[in-house]
Amino acid sequence: MNNFIFGRYIPGESLIHKMSPQAKLLLCFAFVIIIFFANNWLTYGVLALSMIMIVLLTGISILFFIKGIRPLIWLIIFTVVIQILFTESSNPWWQWGPLSISAHSLITGGYIFMRFLLIIMISTVLTLTTTPLGIADGVQTLLKPLKKLRFPVDTLALMLSIALRFVPTLMDEMESIMNAQRSRGVDFGSGSIKQRIQSAIPLLVPLFSGAITHAENLSTAMDARGFVDSEHRTKYRVYGWKKIDALAVLAFVAIFAIVLLIRN
Amino acid sequence: MDNAVEFKEVSHVYQADSPMAADALSNVSLSIKAGSFTAVIGHTGSGKSTLVQHINALLKPTAGEVKVLGKAITPDTSNKNLKSFRKHIGMVFQFPEKQLFEETVLKDVMFGPKNYGESEQNAELLAKEALNMVNLPAANFNKSPFDLSGGQMRRVAIAGVLAMKPEILIMDEPTAGLDPRGHHEIMNLAKRLNAEGVTIILVTHQMNDVTNYADDVLVMEQGKLIKHDGPRKVFSDPTWVVDHQLNLPDSASFALELASQGFNFNELPMTIDELADSIAGGSMNE
Repeated sequence: MNNFIFGRYIPGESLIHKMSPQAKLLLCFAFVIIIFFANNWLTYGVLALSMIMIVLLTGISILFFIKGIRPLIWLIIFTVVIQILFTESSNPWWQWGPLSISAHSLITGGYIFMRFLLIIMISTVLTLTTTPLGIADGVQTLLKPLKKLRFPVDTLALMLSIALRFVPTLMDEMESIMNAQRSRGVDFGSGSIKQRIQSAIPLLVPLFSGAITHAENLSTAMDARGFVDSEHRTKYRVYGWKKIDALAVLAFVAIFAIVLLIRN
Repeated sequence: MDNAVEFKEVSHVYQADSPMAADALSNVSLSIKAGSFTAVIGHTGSGKSTLVQHINALLKPTAGEVKVLGKAITPDTSNKNLKSFRKHIGMVFQFPEKQLFEETVLKDVMFGPKNYGESEQNAELLAKEALNMVNLPAANFNKSPFDLSGGQMRRVAIAGVLAMKPEILIMDEPTAGLDPRGHHEIMNLAKRLNAEGVTIILVTHQMNDVTNYADDVLVMEQGKLIKHDGPRKVFSDPTWVVDHQLNLPDSASFALELASQGFNFNELPMTIDELADSIAGGSMNE
């Protein structure tokens, strides 16, 4: 169950950890956009190199990143294979109806693979080095302009942080319910499709009922501590823009400039 | 067959091959006699829960061999046939009321027996028998389990395990959060089952329960078994007990207080009755 990487923050003291969450979020989006400007081996090479630098800078073992990619590996393989088979080319090496393989389609497939890998890596960097609360805070800061349109930014950020906070809790709960039902003779993940769907009921009913109980308890606790919706409140941690954020933005601008220069 | 459970050099590493790998059990060898009432004690995080989950094959050892009721589990055992292995082993988890899901109390208790192949009628008989054992009034049988009180939900969940007629019953802190009466009822139920020949394995922080009910004690610390002895022997050395961050039973700590004021005890009393007897028959140092 713990191969699920999202919401699993790894504490650390690296430069990336020290960046403010809003800067990391922004640069994460920026990196994804830069990835779509890459269109030849050289540009992908530059991005891969920057990615390796970023991963090294986090000081987190590469194993965590591999674990982040593993759950998505089938999606990546599927997309890459489809891309290879359905890319049309004038001189294919192999053809069968609409399917073909050529040098061109293999290269496009390789690009798609790189894109997936880079996007997953950069978002894994974000989730591994930023606490869930930090991410929610970053979202709140970035969405602040929407307040002018009376959009409830603070409430949204609170909802987001509560949701993120409860992911690990509910995962642990699911694990313990699965164990309890296993010892009552449920065989999860085996048997016919009908049996598999049926075996989800003894898991989902307690999980939902537990989630509702958590929600009720949490709202009682919030009431007890005087929570009022959309009231301006101060924060325990204030993330401002720091020097390191400015440096990171500069580095990204440089990467973007290089990519624009050497793309076809 | 004398031993219900045997561990041979069992180790368990959580998330092996990952940066988060953590030793939960290291090189544990032990045997639990059939028909015994064994208590597993130890500090939080000492590996108690990990240990008992091996008995039910919810966890497989990463090294070594676990033998339960004559069947062995090794790191190579396939995940496919564990269901038949679990049939004779009941497991009551911490806060077992979380496992309730059916529309009615009766249906929920029938769930286990039906999974292990009992017919509808048989399962119903077993369920009613189990619900009687936990003293749940028949008026509640057709209620939704979610409409019951916390204590009643706990008893329904325990009945759901008892209905499978386990030969070994593992209880992981079954009385956490219950009032004294509920606590007493559940511990007495365990005692009664034990008298009927069920092997009981109780994970607990309540040292009073250990001396009142158990006849064998496993003490865990940092994934290792540091003592395996009768309750009297385990608690006979108060300094050792305190050094390993455990508590003494109330009667023993009460007796120690008295002893520090000059009261003589031939032997440290382990239960309230023993304490009362030795006070009645004891003498003060003058």
